[in-house]
Amino acid sequence: MIHNLPPGLIMVLGALLLPFLGQRLSAWGALILSSLSLAAFWTTPELHVVTLNLFGQDLNIVRIDRWSWIFGLVFHFAAIIASIYALHVKDTKQHVAGMIYAGSAIAACCAGDLITLFVCWELTAVSSVFLIWANGTETAYRSGMRYLIIQVTSGVLLLSGAIIHYHQTGSLVFENFLGLEPGQRGSVGDLEFGPLLILIAFGIKGAFPLLHNWLQDSYPNGTATGTVFLSAFTTKLAIYSLARGFAGLEELIWIGCAMTLFPIVFAVIENDLRRVLAYSLNNQLGFMVVGIGIGTELALNGTAAHAFCHIIYKSLLFMSMGAVLHRVGTTKATELGGLHKSMPLTTVFCMIGGGAIAGFPLLSGFVSKSMIISAAGYEHMFAVWIILLIASAGVMEHSGIKIPFFAFFAHDSGKRVKEAPWNMLTAMAIASFCCIAIGVYYQPLYDMLPFETHYEPYTAAHVIMQLQLLLFAALAFVFLMKANLYPAEIRSTNLDTDWVYRRFLPRLIAHVGKLIQLIDSLVRFACLSMIKRFLNWLSKSCSARGWLGSTWSTSSMAFWAAALLGVFLILYYL
Amino acid sequence: MKTKDDKSTGGDPNSDASWLERNVNVVIAGLVIACIGSLIAQLWWSPLFDAEHGHPPEFAIEELFGFEAMFGFAAFVGVVFLGTGLRLIIKRDEDYYDS
Repeated sequence: MIHNLPPGLIMVLGALLLPFLGQRLSAWGALILSSLSLAAFWTTPELHVVTLNLFGQDLNIVRIDRWSWIFGLVFHFAAIIASIYALHVKDTKQHVAGMIYAGSAIAACCAGDLITLFVCWELTAVSSVFLIWANGTETAYRSGMRYLIIQVTSGVLLLSGAIIHYHQTGSLVFENFLGLEPGQRGSVGDLEFGPLLILIAFGIKGAFPLLHNWLQDSYPNGTATGTVFLSAFTTKLAIYSLARGFAGLEELIWIGCAMTLFPIVFAVIENDLRRVLAYSLNNQLGFMVVGIGIGTELALNGTAAHAFCHIIYKSLLFMSMGAVLHRVGTTKATELGGLHKSMPLTTVFCMIGGGAIAGFPLLSGFVSKSMIISAAGYEHMFAVWIILLIASAGVMEHSGIKIPFFAFFAHDSGKRVKEAPWNMLTAMAIASFCCIAIGVYYQPLYDMLPFETHYEPYTAAHVIMQLQLLLFAALAFVFLMKANLYPAEIRSTNLDTDWVYRRFLPRLIAHVGKLIQLIDSLVRFACLSMIKRFLNWLSKSCSARGWLGSTWSTSSMAFWAAALLGVFLILYYL
Repeated sequence: MKTKDDKSTGGDPNSDASWLERNVNVVIAGLVIACIGSLIAQLWWSPLFDAEHGHPPEFAIEELFGFEAMFGFAAFVGVVFLGTGLRLIIKRDEDYYDS
């Protein structure tokens, strides 16, 4: 019975009961809900499909195959870890929002049709915005509004695309829109208009270049615990959807390459460390998008594996910065430093997360990212391979070094705070354990991947090459610091594409508004002047001395009467 | 969010320097040794770069001694310099959007 319901529904419906538990118990309620949902999901039979007939249309509200399984599983892990991390939070609405958000993301990755996907897609958008608004500041409110508008727009595009696709093909089944098998490739030119809209919808949620800035705008404005939820679901749901619908789409390779590159440059000069993590997240999504674009079994396995590992280590990094925010009140690098003395455990957990994302051997990132880079190599894509190597060095810069260094080491800010609360430490310890466990014993992860794989990450060549890349990148950091060439952390705002809708468009609209106002006032002035002049003339003409108002002489009257009669006579005979 | 009992207290940063702060040079020396070790390892393990033992190099450049080391160093420096240059263009006051 329970398996006939969309996975995650336990969390969505259960969340509605959380307010009845009160502020203290609702956090525990959220943890129990996510654990129950995992138990139900774990016992779901493989290749499980549930069809619902709605208004004469068959909808696959549940479709669990290997793709859905790996994403559903890691979404559950993320929800449980985030729930533990948020156990101290006494704000019930955050727990409700977190559960609905996580539950709908899980249901979305187990949806077999585009309409079910759309419903869950929008539910993730509407529920997650409360995790930003819960911060309670004006900045968070505005940022949340922008986030909501962009996410809902993505949903509208998805629905529009689904309707057009249905009109064209008569099918709502969510599958590869180009009908490609692993190893085959197609291009955007082969897509119909409906799937093209769906691709844009996925691209918005997946933070494609130029569509990305909602991510760096909103995530740093979430609550310390809310951002941990946010980091796990929205973008990875987009990655899942891209892999399901557009695997093998060649343009995704280059879109992914751009995504791996530009965020690392922005991350170098960003002062807010949670925003640095948002750029870092964007960069990691790029690796996955490249994998989807390459579209071979190894590349797609790499994408799934990397999404799995990424959700855990990125949550860990956001948790460590959340702990800093919770204790210090800020995550700005200019105000941090030296925290390893008072938050030693958080420091260690953050470094494990940093090591995992950088791809150090024996940590999770190594066994997943290398699959994608190898896939590019096996396909002889030299430029892509080089770009991914540059991006790997960039990851080492922003997440492997910058985050731990400026928060916990660097110049001592003199701040002495308590270590993070026990529940935060527990959540970070679990995530750290997962990062190490997957890095050391990766076979269970590989066994879960969409396609069977015999990939071996721990070859001597691969380990040595990766160590050289990362160690010498770290050496470059030391060199730049010693030579005073590393850019100092500065309190500033760095412009990104959000400048277009936060500054340029409002100003443009304001200027256009002023222009319209000016034209309007000029036209009004001209018309009023003309009317005034006409009235003056009329008044003058009708006055006692005016030509209409004055008394005419009898001879004039007789003349004009005769003339009028004459004209009448002529007209009569004509 | 900062709670009442969690207020950070300002202290003299130099009064309680940790082991790491007192031994930065040791850490750097350790890193240099690790870097050299990774290069030596490449020489030592080069036979394992064959297809028979590990994954074969896909591109000839991979076989160049210390390629990834040089690449890692250069890419890191390049990214940082690009960031520094970008800052000149995109940096604004902290309250830019609030003003």
